[in-house]
Amino acid sequence: MSIDAALRPAQPATGPVTTRLNVTTTGPADGPVILFAHGFGCDQGMWDGVLPHFAGDHRVVRYDLMGYGQSDPAAYDPVRYATLDGHADDILAICAELDLRDVTLVAHSVSTMMAVLAAIREPERFRQLVLVAANPYFLQDPPGGYDGGFSDADMSEVAGALDSNYFTWAEAMAPVIMGTPDAPQHGERLTASFCRVNPDVARQLLGTMFTTDYRPLLPQVTVPAVVLQCRADAMVPAPVAEYLHEHLAGSTLVQLQALGHCPHISAPEETAAAIRAHLLP
Amino acid sequence: MTPDYADLWEHAPGSHLLLDDDGRITAANATFCDWTGHAAADLVGRPFTSLLPVGDRVLHTTHSLPQLMVTGRVAEASVQVIGADGERHPALLSATRVTAGLPVPETRVVLVDAQQRRRYEEELLTARRRAEESQARIAAAEAALTELVHHDSLTGLLNRPGLLHALHGRLGRCGADPTGPGTAVPTVFFIDLDGFKAVNDGLGHGSGDELLRVVARRLEDASRAGADVARLAGDEFVVLDDVSPEGSRRVAARLLDVLAEPVVLQGVEVVVAASIGSCAAELPVAPADVETAADLVLRRADTAMYRAKAQGSGRWEAHVPGSADPAADRLVLLEQLRNAIRDGELRVHYQPRMDLPTGGVSGVEALVRWQHPTRGLLQPDAFIDAAEESGVIRDLGAWVLTEAVEQAVRWDAAGADPGLQVAVNVSARQLADTDLVTRVAGVLARAGLPASRLVLEITETALMHDPESALTSLQALRSLGVLLAVDDFGTGYSSFTYLKQFPVDELKIDRSFVAGMTTDAGDRAIVASCVHLAHAMGLVAVAEGVESADERDALLALGCDQAQGYFFSRPVPADAVPFPVAVPA
Repeated sequence: MSIDAALRPAQPATGPVTTRLNVTTTGPADGPVILFAHGFGCDQGMWDGVLPHFAGDHRVVRYDLMGYGQSDPAAYDPVRYATLDGHADDILAICAELDLRDVTLVAHSVSTMMAVLAAIREPERFRQLVLVAANPYFLQDPPGGYDGGFSDADMSEVAGALDSNYFTWAEAMAPVIMGTPDAPQHGERLTASFCRVNPDVARQLLGTMFTTDYRPLLPQVTVPAVVLQCRADAMVPAPVAEYLHEHLAGSTLVQLQALGHCPHISAPEETAAAIRAHLLP
Repeated sequence: MTPDYADLWEHAPGSHLLLDDDGRITAANATFCDWTGHAAADLVGRPFTSLLPVGDRVLHTTHSLPQLMVTGRVAEASVQVIGADGERHPALLSATRVTAGLPVPETRVVLVDAQQRRRYEEELLTARRRAEESQARIAAAEAALTELVHHDSLTGLLNRPGLLHALHGRLGRCGADPTGPGTAVPTVFFIDLDGFKAVNDGLGHGSGDELLRVVARRLEDASRAGADVARLAGDEFVVLDDVSPEGSRRVAARLLDVLAEPVVLQGVEVVVAASIGSCAAELPVAPADVETAADLVLRRADTAMYRAKAQGSGRWEAHVPGSADPAADRLVLLEQLRNAIRDGELRVHYQPRMDLPTGGVSGVEALVRWQHPTRGLLQPDAFIDAAEESGVIRDLGAWVLTEAVEQAVRWDAAGADPGLQVAVNVSARQLADTDLVTRVAGVLARAGLPASRLVLEITETALMHDPESALTSLQALRSLGVLLAVDDFGTGYSSFTYLKQFPVDELKIDRSFVAGMTTDAGDRAIVASCVHLAHAMGLVAVAEGVESADERDALLALGCDQAQGYFFSRPVPADAVPFPVAVPA
C-alpha cells in the first residue's frame, strides 16, 4: 500500500454544517468513508498520526467538536449541547450534508458515546463503529458491580481543576475569538488556534460525561463495533472495556500495547494497524 | 572548562521533570525533590499523573496531554502536585515535547510554584461565577416581568400586547415559507360574547369576572396545545393558531360549541352565546411588514366577527379575501356603531355661532364625532346615513342631545354667558319618532336647562319629506319652549305654504351659497333672498360655512343676523370652545 496522502492537503468541505464544524476531507472521493471524531482536549489534529494510514484508500472525513478547534463559536448553543445528543446530531448532520453512506465511524473518548447515540438513531448510515478509549459511565455503581474509575468526590475535584485553568484557556482562545485566525506570523497565536478549547464548553462536556450513565444505550446498538483499549488508561479502567464488549452485541475487543488515554497520539502506528485489521469489508 | 550543565539542571530555579511518551518520569531535578519531598530514585519510572490529584489528572490526561502531543507544547496549565507527605503544591505546568536529535521523544516539564496566582485566579473565578448567577437571576426576573406584561391578570390569558407579540412571532416565521393549498397558516379567531353586559349588570361585576374566567378556561381547553389564547378587552377574546383553510370551520365550530354550554353563576344558569370572526394571514410576510400584517389580520377578524354578530348570536364568519360587500360593510359599521355608543367612543364637538353685528358668540352647534378604534376620528358623513337608515340614529341622536344639554349646564356652572344657545341636529327619522317630544322634555328636565336655550335643527329635506306629520311634531316641540331651525335651507325645495305654517325660529342658509356669494352674483342673490325671506317671516337668518372676512362682511352688509364657519372657529371639543370670542379682524 502506498501512503502519500500526507502530500495531499485536506480539503475543507462546504455547506452550513461542514463550515460550522470545520469538516475536512481527504483521500479518494469514491473510497469507503471513514469518519474520525476526536475526544477531549484538542481538535481533529489529534488524528494526524493515523491519517496517512487511511487517506490512500479511504475517503477520510474529520471535524472539530462544537466548542473545540476551529468550530464556529457563534454556533455554540448551551441548550443544544447540554447533552451529548446535540453532538450526536452534529455527526448525523455531517453525514447528511456530505451524503456519507456505509460510514466507518472512529471515535475517541467522549466522542465514543456520541457515536453510540448516532448509530442508534440512524443505524443504516454506519457500517462499523471503532470506539477508542471508551467509557460509558465514569462513576461507580456498586450494586451493578460496575466501576467506571471515579468516585463522587472525584467529580468535584475535576470541576475544580477545570475552574483553575479557566483563565489560561480563555486566554489561549482569545486570538481566535478576536477573529485573527490567519496571523501565523505570531507563533503563539498559531499554537492557540490549534487545540483551542472553550473553557465553558469543556466544563459542560466533562460535566455531562461525569454525570450521565450511557450504559443503557449499549444494548440498543446494532452497528458492529470494535473496542480499542489501552494499558493504564487513567480514564478507562480495564474492566470497563470488558463491560463494553459484553454489552455491545457482536463487538470485538482489541487490547493495545499503548499506554494512557490517547493511543492515536502516543502510538499512531499501532492504533492505525489495529483499526485496519478489523475493518469490515 | 565545560560548564556544569548537570548542576544547572539540578539546582535550576524551577522544578524540572523529563517524561517519556508513555508519561513515565525518566528524571527529576533536585529543586523538584526539595519542593515536594519526593526522592528522585522513587520518582523514576512512575507515571507523572500519579503525582496529580484526580481532577488535575483527568484534565492533564484529557486536555494537556493531547495538546502537548499535537502542538508540542503546553503553557501554564494550573495543577497541584502531591508531595511525599500528601500535601498539595499549587503550580503552573509548562511542557515541551522534543523529538529532534533524540532516539525517542522526550517531554520536558517545568513546574513553577504558583500559590499566590492560584489564589488570585480562584477569587477571579468565584467573582465570575457569581456574575453568571446574577445574570441568570436578572434573566429570570426579566422573563417573569415579560410574563406579567404580556398576560391578563384576570384570566391568565395573553393580553393585547401578549397577543401582538405572539402574532408578530408567528408572522415573522412565515417570511419565505412556500405555502400550498391546505397549508396551516396563522389564523385569528376573534370572539365576542353576546350576553356579557347583561350578566355584569344583572349579577354584578364579581359574576362578570367569574364568567370571563370560565370562558377563558373553556377557550383554552378547546384550543390545541400550540394555540395562543388572549383576552383583548372586556368580553373580547382571540384564539390564534396555525390552521388550514378547511380547519378554520372546525376550530370555530368547536369554540362556539364550548361557549354555548350554560355557565352557572350564583346558582343561576347563564347562557352566553358568542360571535366569532376569523381571518387567516396572507403569506408570505416580509420582515418589515410583520406589524402591519398583524394589525390587518386582527382588524379583518374583528370585522368578520361583527358580520357574524349582525346575523344573530352564535355564528361564525370568515374574512373573505378581496370582498368589499357594501351591505356587509354597512352591517359591520352599524354593529360597531352600536358598540361605540355603548362603549363611549362617540364625542360631541361644538362649533361657535356668532352674532354678526356684535361679533360675540351667541351659541354653539353640537356635532357628533366617532373616535373609531382603528379608523381614527370619524366625521358624521361616514356613519350618519347608515345610522339614519337603520334606526340606530334614535340612540345616537338621544345620546348627542343628552350630552349637549348637559354640556350647556356645565358651561353655565363654569361661568359662561347664561344666554348661550346649544343647537342639536334632529334627523327625519327622529322627527317621526313619537317619543321625541317626551325624550327632549325629559333630557331638559333632568339637566335643568331652560327649553329656550336649546335649538333643534331640522333639515329642509326632512321637513318636506312628510310636511303634515312634521308640522305636528314641530308644534309639539315648540310647545315645550325649544327653538327650531330649518337647516341647510335652499338645498331642498320648500313649499312656502308649509314653511309659513311651521313654527320655526331660524333659517340656516346652506354653506354652498355662502361659499359662492363673493364671486358668484347668483349665489349672492340667493343668500340675499334667504335673508329677506327669513326677516319677512320673522325668523333669524343664520349663514353656514363662513370661511373668509369678505364673506363675513358681505353677510353683514346683507343684514344677516348670525353666522358660523371655519373663519370663526372649527368644531372643537367642549373645553376648547372660545368663550368669549374676539372677532378676528
